[in-house]
Amino acid sequence: MAHVPVADDAPTDAASAPIAAPFPGATAVEQPSPPLRPRKSKLHARERRVGLLFVGVPIIGFLTFTLYPLLFSLYASMTKWNGLGPMRFTGFDNYVKMAGDERVHTAMFNTVFLMLGIPIGLILSLVLALALNRKMRGTTFFRTVYYVPVISSLAAIAIMWQWAFNGDFGLINQALDLVGIQGPNWLADKDTVKPAIIMMTVWKGLGYSMLLYLAAIQSVPASLYEAAALDGANAFQRFRSITLPMVRPVTFFLVVTSIIGGSQVFIEINIMTPTGGPEYSSATIVWHIWRTAFNYRDMGYASAMSIVLGLLVFVVTAIQFRRNARSTFSVE
Amino acid sequence: MMKSRTRSALTATAAALTLSLALTACGGSGSDDGTNADGSKQLTFMFRGGEDEKAAYTEAIKQFEAANEGVKVNMIVTTADEYATKLQAAITGRQIPDVFYVEPGQVQSLATSGVVMDLTEKVEGSDVIDLDNIWEYGVDSYRFDGSVQGEGAIYALPKDIGPFSFGYNKTMFEEAGIELPDVDTPYTLDEFVQVAKELTQDTDGDGELDQWGTGLNVTWNLQAFVWGNGGDWINEAQDTVTVDTPEFAEALQWFADLQNVHGTTPSVEQAQTLDTYQRWMQGEIGFFPVGPWDVSTYNELDFEWDLIPYPSDAGTPATWIGTLGIAASNSTKHPDEAVELVEYLVANVDAQQTLVDAGVQIPNLIDMADEWVADTESKPANKQEFLDVARDYGRALPANNTYSAQWYDEFFVNIQPVLDGDQTAAEYVKEVQPKMQVLLDEAIAASQNAGS
Repeated sequence: MAHVPVADDAPTDAASAPIAAPFPGATAVEQPSPPLRPRKSKLHARERRVGLLFVGVPIIGFLTFTLYPLLFSLYASMTKWNGLGPMRFTGFDNYVKMAGDERVHTAMFNTVFLMLGIPIGLILSLVLALALNRKMRGTTFFRTVYYVPVISSLAAIAIMWQWAFNGDFGLINQALDLVGIQGPNWLADKDTVKPAIIMMTVWKGLGYSMLLYLAAIQSVPASLYEAAALDGANAFQRFRSITLPMVRPVTFFLVVTSIIGGSQVFIEINIMTPTGGPEYSSATIVWHIWRTAFNYRDMGYASAMSIVLGLLVFVVTAIQFRRNARSTFSVE
Repeated sequence: MMKSRTRSALTATAAALTLSLALTACGGSGSDDGTNADGSKQLTFMFRGGEDEKAAYTEAIKQFEAANEGVKVNMIVTTADEYATKLQAAITGRQIPDVFYVEPGQVQSLATSGVVMDLTEKVEGSDVIDLDNIWEYGVDSYRFDGSVQGEGAIYALPKDIGPFSFGYNKTMFEEAGIELPDVDTPYTLDEFVQVAKELTQDTDGDGELDQWGTGLNVTWNLQAFVWGNGGDWINEAQDTVTVDTPEFAEALQWFADLQNVHGTTPSVEQAQTLDTYQRWMQGEIGFFPVGPWDVSTYNELDFEWDLIPYPSDAGTPATWIGTLGIAASNSTKHPDEAVELVEYLVANVDAQQTLVDAGVQIPNLIDMADEWVADTESKPANKQEFLDVARDYGRALPANNTYSAQWYDEFFVNIQPVLDGDQTAAEYVKEVQPKMQVLLDEAIAASQNAGS
């Protein structure tokens, strides 16, 4: 039955047999391939069916877990619905209401404000990556240290920082006290709660961006630096003209994913400021959506806000991709 | 041979994957008829809470299972934060637990949507539970007649009631040589300020204050003073926000002045509970609120403390009572057993004893509570105050009997400038009333919509 002398553990599947023995000489008895013709064999049809079944898994997954919920919430966004009872179709009422809803505007503003942490985090992690790329003792140790927050549970971290930010006994104010500064009650003051949360998210995300930057920096061809050094470029010029453009894809990736992630901030808000902070100053849009849906039982309105948020994220990401495509950098 | 076997295995894998996914997607609406493999009936009880609740309910369930042969109860415990979300998900997914916790604020929506069972008949005819022996406030919190909450059919029974009372640091009074407060006659507001001022002292003479009269969180304490002054958040018909009355503004201003004018509380900027809570526990605060759930913690403290009524100018004090209820699902496969389980959880004597011993609640059964008060061994001495709140002067939190609490929460969002003394209470209540009224109107509309 098996004409091809392959080892027992090799695939015995007919389709893979020619690939399994591609070395001339190793296959002395190999038969010439059959002439190419439209494949209509029974075998082929069965293979197609199996293939379709495999493809079917993710497709059904997409239909049931992504497309259906999406369409459902699109419909729900045009109803008055408490999540339990009947839905009453109200057209675009929810969207009209959103346009004049002070709380939604505040939550949107807060969400965007918290994204100030993204450039701060990127700069810091690039600096850290450059530092850890040098040949010095203990780099592995520091890489681990900076990565620990990334793999820690966000809820646990939020609780820890909540303690650290406590106005009276918190670690941060105690540290400030040592240098004679009286720190504010971070999470209870509308002017300091957002910076406090930004601090926490930057700290938490640092290790991840740093690791990606480190990998990108290490894959820059050394010949580029050598050539630049021969041409007399100093360290800053080499960084500006070689390192920065070469890590650009990573920067792009981080900016896109951070903005998507940043528009969905929820856990740290809910744990650190369970009422949305003083004067709603730390309420993010996702937190506000969650509260509207589950505390105030207004699923219809919450769905409408989610749809708008989804569209905004989509548009922003699309713009980023376009801009990135227009200014792609490549090494000749 | 070999080939075809591999092939069919492959096909089977793909088919199984696809099928299992399709089944999962259907939400498991398949075979669950509430019966276990061995033929016993299966009930699910979903609640939130800590170890004390779990221990108490394990006990109650054990006795329930012994009394009802062939019934098994499965407990699902969540954290307090997650509970509302998980319950909503369970209801939306039609996987409603047979028995579960509800808050008074959820009663209207759950009842009109037909999620919770009307327990009235079963409970009134029950031999496990005697409604007259359970706090009326608790039971009434879960009554709803289709338009007004507090009357009509019973949709849940109270798991507990939590009278929010007021306490004072007895040791601090004695050291300062101040006459102890009367446990029956409340202070007037002026008297309270006077005593609070006397308690605010620099005891070690280093030029900095070491102890303060009080330090109250506005979210949980303002009610007592507003009500005690004749004001309220909402009118009796539950359709108009009434925070813009002079009585209300006066009480709020008085509350803010404790800090800004009289200087009887710690740091000017902070009304955060955590800070004053910690200071109270360190013995630096004279007056502080006490809920039944605080008793076990406060009994470990280094000073003597006791309960008194909240200060009031009206002669009768006021404060709020919290409560959480236990309801049965309308779609349960075993309605009789589910209701009986509710009754066991609410009124089982051993379970109640476990919870009371743990110092997390007062007894749910009135006769048991009277016995508990009569016991002079355990602290606080004036436990009677808790019962007075429960029986006489406690009220529901303003949003308990409305469809949604959004209008009420709105009141506290921008209140900080008033507490800091940057805005007068009169200005603030005038400003916030229209915003709250819009939200209350929305809640009323949503309630009518859900009912239709």
